[in-house]
Amino acid sequence: MSLLIRRFVPTKTCNVVLKQNEPAIVVISRRKLSIVPSMYDGERDPAPKFFSSYVQKLLKRLTRPDFSKVFRKRTNSGVPVLKTPTYKFLTSDELELEFSKARLKADKLLQMPPVVKVHQKIDEVLSQDPALVGYDTAKYLFTDITFGVANEHRLIIERDPDGFLRSCDHDVRKRLNQVYFPLKGRSIKEPLMFSDSEKFNNLLDREKYEFVLDRACVQYEPDEPNYQRVTSITYQHIDMNKKYDLLRSTRHFGPLAFYLTWHQSMDSLMLELLQSGAVREAVLLAALRYAIHSDIANGDVAHALTEEIFPSPVQLSKPEQLSEADIDLDNKCIEFVQKYIVSNSSMKSQQELALQGFREYYQQLVELSRGLQKAHGKV
Amino acid sequence: MYVYAMYLEIMILTGCTNRPFYHISVTHRRRLNSQPVIEQLGSYDPMPNINNEKLVALNLERLKYWLGQGAHVSNPVGELLGLSGFFPIHPRSYMAAWRNRRIERENMAKQLELAEKSETAA
Repeated sequence: MSLLIRRFVPTKTCNVVLKQNEPAIVVISRRKLSIVPSMYDGERDPAPKFFSSYVQKLLKRLTRPDFSKVFRKRTNSGVPVLKTPTYKFLTSDELELEFSKARLKADKLLQMPPVVKVHQKIDEVLSQDPALVGYDTAKYLFTDITFGVANEHRLIIERDPDGFLRSCDHDVRKRLNQVYFPLKGRSIKEPLMFSDSEKFNNLLDREKYEFVLDRACVQYEPDEPNYQRVTSITYQHIDMNKKYDLLRSTRHFGPLAFYLTWHQSMDSLMLELLQSGAVREAVLLAALRYAIHSDIANGDVAHALTEEIFPSPVQLSKPEQLSEADIDLDNKCIEFVQKYIVSNSSMKSQQELALQGFREYYQQLVELSRGLQKAHGKV
Repeated sequence: MYVYAMYLEIMILTGCTNRPFYHISVTHRRRLNSQPVIEQLGSYDPMPNINNEKLVALNLERLKYWLGQGAHVSNPVGELLGLSGFFPIHPRSYMAAWRNRRIERENMAKQLELAEKSETAA
């Protein structure tokens, strides 16, 4: 086995020869230890928290939607010839109208896949008839194909060879729904990219996170254990490698942030936010933690502060000039984050360092913009 | 009345050579094979799939409608509806189960006899 591994991934293994009483060759794989998936299968149900309008707002804002990424050309499959863009002269009112249309469209594209609890096994016996034992060696599966019934409410039952009439379990239901009412892009057999861990890890190593998550959305239902296993491994991989930017402006960032916060491991995301100078988003993240766990020291301030942040425009790049209102808000945010780091953070020293760096940078920016204002004679 | 005896729910063999597949349809009683059916209500695949399952699809809503119109049900369809719990179990299903159990019992007895014979011979 070790030889096989060495042949396929020669760069990722190294040999250690131990010369003790008896010679032994130990092959240590440098491939990352397999990540243990953690699902939403505990006592608490994440759905009411996730779907609450406040948390949705927080998550959407944390996504930091950049329209040039949201509306990027992803594929031309199904379109034989790419459409040429049209250019128009518009008045500012018409332009505003177009922007509001684009915002609605982006909202639709960024709708987050739901976060729900893992489903329970269906184990319901409808009737039993011992006189039917021996009728057939195969199971009979009955599907009600009545028009206009949703997949999750469809009647699907089985007659077992032992004469029991049962409701089918989720995996059989999904298979039969796919047989009679196929969804585009979903396959009846689990795709190899999910079932074969070698292929799955390869995808993760190549950082094809969005592809994996999109495919998982099509292939699985959100309450399936397999969906939660795949997404959880992907989220943890992103978190370990700090590749949050790859998911920003996509619909998967919200569930990622929710997952990390739910499992109390959002501090490296917080660190990344502070290092990139997004102090307002750091406040939003802390507010998210307060909304989910309510375990933050100064949580009561969080809600008011986030309500101040929501109307301000999304900061896609570092600002060049600051207004007095911006400075005021940012100072409040810095203070809030400072308190959070002191009382609740698990990466105190690193985050404090990052915040200190941001503070110094910000001080320079404030001086610059105030000086500019003065030079223009506006103060 | 005559009109109520006109309709019949039957299984119609489709598929191809060595691959049976049935449509469960409602038709006129004296339909020719070249004529179309009135409505298709479901399907039945008698060959077990890779998981040893036989798939049956039934449009229960339309089935109820046609039963309300006085349609008759053929024996094979009646057996399927019985197994699905929509009808009471068809008597033919019980007969088939009983015969299969008897055949199995006889086979077992034969095997036992053979084993005893081979033992005594040895």
